Amino acid sequence: MNFHDVRDLLWLATACYGASFILGMVKTRHRFPNVLQESPFLLILAGFFLQTRALYFRGLEIHGCPLGNGLERTQFILWSLILAFLLLRLIWRLNLLGTFCAGVSLLLGSLSLGLKKWDFPYWQADGYTRLFKDPWIELHASIAIFSYGLFCLLAVVSMMYLSQRQTLLSRRPGFLGPYLPPIQELDAAAMRLLAVGVSFLTLSMVVGIMHWTRHPEFVSHIKLTVTTALWIGYLLLFVMRISNRLYGARFAKWTIALFAVALLSLSLVSSKTKIQAYKPLPSSPLAYQF
Amino acid sequence: MSDQENTLFLLGTSHQVASLHDRETIGLPNDSIQKFYLGMEKLTGLEECLVLNTCNRTEIYGAGDDSFKIEYLMEYLADFRDLELEFIQKKTYRRTGAEVVRHLFEVASGIDSQMVGETEILGQLKKAYDDASERNSTGKVLNRLFQKSFQAAKWARTNTGISRGQVNLGNVLCELARRIFGRIDQCRLLVVGAGEVAESALEAFKSRGSEAITVTGRTFDWCPLSQRKPDELAQKFDGFTLAYSKFHDSLHLFDVVLASTASAKALLTKAQIEVAMKKRPSKPLFVIDASVPRNVEEAASTVDNVFLYNMDDVSTIANENLQSRLSEVDRCRVALSKRALRLWEQMRTYPSLPS
Repeated sequence: MNFHDVRDLLWLATACYGASFILGMVKTRHRFPNVLQESPFLLILAGFFLQTRALYFRGLEIHGCPLGNGLERTQFILWSLILAFLLLRLIWRLNLLGTFCAGVSLLLGSLSLGLKKWDFPYWQADGYTRLFKDPWIELHASIAIFSYGLFCLLAVVSMMYLSQRQTLLSRRPGFLGPYLPPIQELDAAAMRLLAVGVSFLTLSMVVGIMHWTRHPEFVSHIKLTVTTALWIGYLLLFVMRISNRLYGARFAKWTIALFAVALLSLSLVSSKTKIQAYKPLPSSPLAYQF
Repeated sequence: MSDQENTLFLLGTSHQVASLHDRETIGLPNDSIQKFYLGMEKLTGLEECLVLNTCNRTEIYGAGDDSFKIEYLMEYLADFRDLELEFIQKKTYRRTGAEVVRHLFEVASGIDSQMVGETEILGQLKKAYDDASERNSTGKVLNRLFQKSFQAAKWARTNTGISRGQVNLGNVLCELARRIFGRIDQCRLLVVGAGEVAESALEAFKSRGSEAITVTGRTFDWCPLSQRKPDELAQKFDGFTLAYSKFHDSLHLFDVVLASTASAKALLTKAQIEVAMKKRPSKPLFVIDASVPRNVEEAASTVDNVFLYNMDDVSTIANENLQSRLSEVDRCRVALSKRALRLWEQMRTYPSLPS
């Protein structure tokens, strides 16, 4: 184990999230000794620290915000997810939210690390220039990714909502049902997360538009279309929810579906082919997504 | 059996050894407890005593010197309740020494209760202990024993699954409402009818701080199920009454609707619930159909944000929770037994020191 190797650190972080997820699940059924009560949360903290360290090292390597390949973007979103969870935990708490976040981090983290193709070393390519030369576009990317983290958290809360609802509809005690938060609290939490996420995404769009109006040649049509479509999608979801035209299970399913689309769109607009296609432009910031 | 073991004893009866009728016969009427304590003071060699008298058990815990014999207490109880000594011998259990500690730990933690894991017994035990302390009938042995039993009960409930899930119908309904709405005290409850289940549910909701309780009935005359007027039920729980003619139009104002009438036809249809849900689209509605035949159309469960439960569903949950508790009893018993033995050893070794 090399504590300066990005992938090793990310694997270790994923292992921490995995352990937190397992312990969190076990804790629902079995009482832990007092000293171990907070172990799932401490493992999330350890995972977050390791993930931060890994992304910092990668940032040093590429001289910018590490958002250049599938692994980096996935890990950055997961990092944002955990950051959002840790920040929101100070304001309100939901039972098992940390465990579910750790579970998602375990799943997506393992997937992104397992698929080695996702971590292609774009910074070693000939003629590589920094991803974000313009600090505005770096700000845009960071805010957008943080909003993705919030949408990921929203998807996690929606999963919890659907689990609780399913258990209630099954009319059985269920394995997790008694330990999950009430559906009305989950609904309120989802609403808040959507509002905050849309605000951040809108802010990132404003910053992005400022860059786009000055350098339209750096922003591909597909990136523009996908980003705008996602923004409209989340905005529409917010409006529908606030006007009570979309709520309950259908709302929860839409938040998960939209986040899946957001994740898929990341790889769609950032394929290696496109990086190569952009290479001829020496001043290109290679910010395909943001 | 050593002499030391004789210093701590228990004489009792419970659902384990006696029928309800026998327990009623042996049990002490509340107004005779004072007299019973006074009589025990005269028993030779008895230094400390405590009476636990509930609907399910009557137990007398005591500590005495070498001259005390448990037979004295049996004779006294038989005499006090005007019963044959043979009957007392047959319908009671006697424990001494470590067995008393173990038994008390099991009683306090609820694993000896008829409804395994119930918590009411701990409150009754504390009340009995307070009562005995006020009478100065407890001393260093019983004080130590009971304080430790309260700790053991807390440990058992925290570290084993004997209290997991609700097993009482009213509590199961409250737990379901909590999983839907979070805070029970903010739920608005409407009860249609005034049956037994309605009362049990109202008690459970009320005990959790629910204030907005409304009762309605098909008529404000005698309710055919329980022969109790709905407005009397509302009064009992500081609730309100609602004219039955207005209840369908007001349905959207309530979070929990409990139907418990003897009506042979459905009082709430899917269409009526759909109309109500249009007025509260994002807020869930918890409908409990506690009637046989059912008062709420089963199809109503397909309406979005509506959670419909009938009594079979609630009983299934209660039974599954009970099974889950029962599966923990053996593990709990072994752990409590070890704790009891340890305490008993300490009591024998350091009789005057806190353990």
